[in-house]
Amino acid sequence: MEVSVIGNPQARICRAELAYRELGFRFGSEVISGESRNRVSFCNQSSKWKEIAIRCSHRSVKCEAIVSDDAPPFLNSTPKSKSLESVKLFVGLPLDTVSDCNNVNHLKAITAGLKALKLLGVQGIELPIFWGVVEKEAAGRYEWSGYLAVAEIVKKVGLKLHVSLSFHGSKHPEIGLPDWVAKIGEAEPGIYFTDRYGQQYKDCLSFAVDDVPVLHGKTPMEVYRGFCDSFKSAFSDYMGNTITGITLGLGPDGELKYPSHQHNVKRSGAGEFQCYDKHMLTALKAYAESTGNPLWGLGGPHDAPAYDHQPNSSTFFSDGGSWESQYGNFFLSWYSSLLTSHADRVLSVASSAFSGIGVPLCGKLPLLHQWHKLRSQPSELTAGFYSSNGQDRYEAITEIFAKNSCRMIIPGMDLSDEHQSPESLSSPESLLAHIKTSCKKQGVVVSGQNSSTPVPGGFERIVENLKDENVGIDLFTYQRMGALFFSPEHFHAFTVFVRNLSRFELSSDDKAADVEDETVSIGSGTGAPSLQTA
Amino acid sequence: MSTVPIESLLHHSYLRHNSKVNRGNRSFIPISLNLRSHFTSNKLLHSIGKSVGVSSKNKSPVAIRATSSDTAVVETAQSDDVIFKEIFPVQRIEKAEGKIYVRLKEVKEKNWELSVGCSIPGKWILHWGVSYVGDTGSEWDQPPEDMRPPGSIAIKDYAIETPLKKLSEGDSFFEVAINLNLESSVAALNFVLKDEETGAWYQHKGRDFKVPLVDDVPDNGNLIGAKKGFGALGQLSNIPLKQDKSSAETDSIEERKGLQEFYEEMPISKRVADDNSVSVTARKCPETSKNIVSIETDLPGDVTVHWGVCKNGTKKWEIPSEPYPEETSLFKNKALRTRLQRKDDGNGSFGLFSLDGKLEGLCFVLKLNENTWLNYRGEDFYVPFLTSSSSPVETEAAQVSKPKRKTDKEVSASGFTKEIITEIRNLAIDISSHKNQKTNVKEVQENILQEIEKLAAEAYSIFRSTTPAFSEEGVLEAEADKPDIKISSGTGSGFEILCQGFNWESNKSGRWYLELQEKADELASLGFTVLWLPPPTESVSPEGYMPKDLYNLNSRYGTIDELKDTVKKFHKVGIKVLGDAVLNHRCAHFKNQNGVWNLFGGRLNWDDRAVVADDPHFQGRGNKSSGDNFHAAPNIDHSQDFVRKDIKEWLCWMMEEVGYDGWRLDFVRGFWGGYVKDYMDASKPYFAVGEYWDSLSYTYGEMDYNQDAHRQRIVDWINATSGAAGAFDVTTKGILHTALQKCEYWRLSDPKGKPPGVVGWWPSRAVTFIENHDTGSTQGHWRFPEGKEMQGYAYILTHPGTPAVFFDHIFSDYHSEIAALLSLRNRQKLHCRSEVNIDKSERDVYAAIIDEKVAMKIGPGHYEPPNGSQNWSVAVEGRDYKVWETS
Repeated sequence: MEVSVIGNPQARICRAELAYRELGFRFGSEVISGESRNRVSFCNQSSKWKEIAIRCSHRSVKCEAIVSDDAPPFLNSTPKSKSLESVKLFVGLPLDTVSDCNNVNHLKAITAGLKALKLLGVQGIELPIFWGVVEKEAAGRYEWSGYLAVAEIVKKVGLKLHVSLSFHGSKHPEIGLPDWVAKIGEAEPGIYFTDRYGQQYKDCLSFAVDDVPVLHGKTPMEVYRGFCDSFKSAFSDYMGNTITGITLGLGPDGELKYPSHQHNVKRSGAGEFQCYDKHMLTALKAYAESTGNPLWGLGGPHDAPAYDHQPNSSTFFSDGGSWESQYGNFFLSWYSSLLTSHADRVLSVASSAFSGIGVPLCGKLPLLHQWHKLRSQPSELTAGFYSSNGQDRYEAITEIFAKNSCRMIIPGMDLSDEHQSPESLSSPESLLAHIKTSCKKQGVVVSGQNSSTPVPGGFERIVENLKDENVGIDLFTYQRMGALFFSPEHFHAFTVFVRNLSRFELSSDDKAADVEDETVSIGSGTGAPSLQTA
Repeated sequence: MSTVPIESLLHHSYLRHNSKVNRGNRSFIPISLNLRSHFTSNKLLHSIGKSVGVSSKNKSPVAIRATSSDTAVVETAQSDDVIFKEIFPVQRIEKAEGKIYVRLKEVKEKNWELSVGCSIPGKWILHWGVSYVGDTGSEWDQPPEDMRPPGSIAIKDYAIETPLKKLSEGDSFFEVAINLNLESSVAALNFVLKDEETGAWYQHKGRDFKVPLVDDVPDNGNLIGAKKGFGALGQLSNIPLKQDKSSAETDSIEERKGLQEFYEEMPISKRVADDNSVSVTARKCPETSKNIVSIETDLPGDVTVHWGVCKNGTKKWEIPSEPYPEETSLFKNKALRTRLQRKDDGNGSFGLFSLDGKLEGLCFVLKLNENTWLNYRGEDFYVPFLTSSSSPVETEAAQVSKPKRKTDKEVSASGFTKEIITEIRNLAIDISSHKNQKTNVKEVQENILQEIEKLAAEAYSIFRSTTPAFSEEGVLEAEADKPDIKISSGTGSGFEILCQGFNWESNKSGRWYLELQEKADELASLGFTVLWLPPPTESVSPEGYMPKDLYNLNSRYGTIDELKDTVKKFHKVGIKVLGDAVLNHRCAHFKNQNGVWNLFGGRLNWDDRAVVADDPHFQGRGNKSSGDNFHAAPNIDHSQDFVRKDIKEWLCWMMEEVGYDGWRLDFVRGFWGGYVKDYMDASKPYFAVGEYWDSLSYTYGEMDYNQDAHRQRIVDWINATSGAAGAFDVTTKGILHTALQKCEYWRLSDPKGKPPGVVGWWPSRAVTFIENHDTGSTQGHWRFPEGKEMQGYAYILTHPGTPAVFFDHIFSDYHSEIAALLSLRNRQKLHCRSEVNIDKSERDVYAAIIDEKVAMKIGPGHYEPPNGSQNWSVAVEGRDYKVWETS
């Protein structure tokens, strides 16, 4: 069968591609080299397009039967395999895997990379799917072709897929919200988070508009629901077999938080409250009136420090400062309740959209470890985590996760206290332990991630975290594939990490094979010798 | 009147196109299918109709035609075995005929217009330039600004590209009109036509079209409109009619009196390749044991199948026994001709052939009309049948010839994933087969680990080259406390300061090397560590950038011995010396049989295989250029092994013979950076820098703030060399131009707060400069804003990157100021990886602190370094700039 596409935009090619798959089945063929009948020929196409489409067209049933076996035996052969499976290791694809014109970026690199990871024994791949890419042009017009092509490659290499539905934008690489949403935002800036200087955060919609019909008469929740439904039907073939998890984007960077650090890359300060968009202010006012303090509803805290200021440079976060006052309790309770109810809304929408498909849902929390040693824990407060009377700030959130049978992803599992600068009063370890305990109490399953940039001693710290018997982490996603990931130094360290991961779970009767493992030297020995376990 | 037909000169584009199709075919294996299909033949036909329908945009099913009883009856058996199915791509060349016309007309008095038109539709581009009065040779120049029609694009400094536009809707002619500026000393207009769609160039009798505007233009037989204006002899003679040649320069207006209107037409033919396909399905009918072959095609018009059958293991054509399909005739007792039936919708045709089950195969070719025959890549189409005696395995073996082609395939897109799957499978099989042999476990693991490493390396190399920003490198470099003192080939120690040791006039004295030697001590004491010498080879142009015999190092700058002495002298004062290597192009010694200069002499007596094929001026027989073309001389095809071997030898020879320490590489846009890596690996220079010069981004004449695309192209090139050579930071120069000239100093910080040029992304490979022999000197192609040079130097001599100072500036009024900045850079040990913190980038002032020990500001605005722990004292100060250092 031949599909020739001459001088067409890529999107159409992919559609032709799909159509063509059906035709292929109509023939009822079984063992046919994908190439012999299924040929796609292109004229005047840029090579990139060509690659995508041609690649999708190969489906060799025979090959798949073999590659769909789990990882190569050497890493999980015989008794090892079972224990290794208790922590599944995934690796994230680059954020810009699919460009905003639905073209698969660095396809060749990704394919080679996936193959390497498969051989290494990695179980799966995380794929960020951006709202701004799929529903870019117009409301309700979804274009899944690029992501489908990626799913197909992942499937073919025999890996599992965890998708992250991202309702946020990204700065690096630059991926915005859908064009039509951005257009609405120009006329109606109130849909974005806004800080007290009136600056908007345009990479995520404000929590206060969740149920306000601001998007051409629809609420964001309704639009998210449509997105989820469309995703479900577009990827129905992969659901449950290739796709083994779905993460719902809960806010900026996909994490459940306010964009409290939006204008401060270094995150040296405590961040600022983001309650100054029109809808937030209206809600605050109503809440203040209902609690009998109408004057408290006129704005956010006046004595909070600026983005890059030290938390104790003004009175709000200091010991005995405003945050502990009655006003503080009033404001922070309201501020954090919006965060909690946002999580509940998104997760409810998702769990009803994806009910019955048998794929677990996840949501991601931030690990706001800066200033964690201050009593007020200001980074967490500005991001929306608070509980009155000094109770567990994460309890309300974990309850929501438990209610929606949603798993929780916690990042920063590679961070250790000793590598934090002492001035920041940071403690990633204790914060992580705290959230994990909170999850355990509610029976929420925890998945791990590292922070996005490599840190010294990161891999050892991850292994320690995964070893923690206290909270069984069943899935760890390493972020993220790219040039740095595959650089000789880093990839070598990663290889050692994967091997360590399998080693700590080895049963004792496997020592002999273990010794043999160690005689194999990995890599050229150029990088990170300290990480190599002798 | 010239009536020589013009044909597309370069067929390579068409050929390439062809090979693309072929590449697809390689992975196109006929596989016999032994599945029991449950379709009735009726349904099967239906689905075939569909399969072709996809390609021909025809989705309606093909109706089965009733066949008459006296022709072969197509058995409609209840079940069929498909034994062969393949779609053969075929390419049909259509020749479009039309004409090109050239018209010279006096629109108003003294207002002449030259129009060039073409009657064939296409994306036509006029690629043109002019010759000025007094020019010799066939080189082109850029026309004066006022002659360029709107929409023209300048191609470096020798040509203009102007698209032809449709005269009017509904008109089939495409035309471009050029207003001639007769005030200028333009002597002739040269052009070729380019078809953007096919990439083909159209010339006039193997040369450029040349329209003379004065009468003494040398005629190489390619003049147009000459004879009418200049007498009866015209083209037939080279003899200028008027003998007042001496007055040409002085009185060109006088001569133009001879200009006369003319109109000439020339026939042109353009080949257009149409891709079609022929789909063949063969089925075995078990009841009748006949082979039923269905041939379908989307070729337009009447298609006749010219066919025979094969018996006894040969591919000889034989005539089968009757009955034959409808519309079949015997052709010279050797073959049968069957006209295919047109499909109902008119998009192609199809036919069914019922053949004896014992036959081995069917051979055929297709005939479109008397002169057009189509075969399958030079061979007959062949449809193998599964005969009752042969098992399916044998059939596959018989077809091995085709799959075999796969082995010689290049890494093609389609092969790629498949390869991966197979490799994984092989490894898995390997593993399982070794599983029980304990001794081999280690070996297998090693195999896998090696494989993983290989893949990771591949992924790394691609990600690295496609990652737009060099954030990793930036971070790494910023974090490094000390620069890497270890000397890696091509990038020096990091502390280099370059001096460009010549300008555009340096060749004039004939003893530049000697003059330079006298300055050695002074340059050393100023603090320079590297000197860039002019191109040393024999050259057609006195400046040295049109090299001819690469091994002849006697040039207008001096003799080879003087050169060697100079290098020695500079080595003695501690300055390393860079040779200017012109590797992109080389001037030929001899003409080929067409009179085109493309054969080389001297020690490297290459022939036209060393010349790239895609510059119509030089008729090279090499491959297509791996970069941009420099049109004034034959561009060297670096993809040729012999060329690279010779160049590597030459570079090594120069290192040894002359004593050069490194290279400045001319016009590296012209060829792939990977070759440069090869050359650098071979010659192991201490320092190397390439000239990758193209235009920055402008919108409506205003320079864009974001020049990431521009610096990305330079970074891409450096990357292609694997970092073996640095590159001149053209981006920084361009941004400095606008920032200084228009008082827009905010441009000097990119959105990430880093320098906006290459130096912000890859400082260790950026060679910053503000002027060179091309941009400034007496050429002045892109002169730095005058009077603001010191601000430029205050920037580059304090910032990371390797700064290069232009000779003219050193020996000018700026001498002492430059000296002070150089001494500061050396004193404070600033280097190519120094960390820069931009403190201010506002409308009228830019300020930065480098390595926390040097502060600088440029621009008229006010700035003082912050009063903190450091104690700042002013080090250098001048007009609109100020530099401080910590004491």
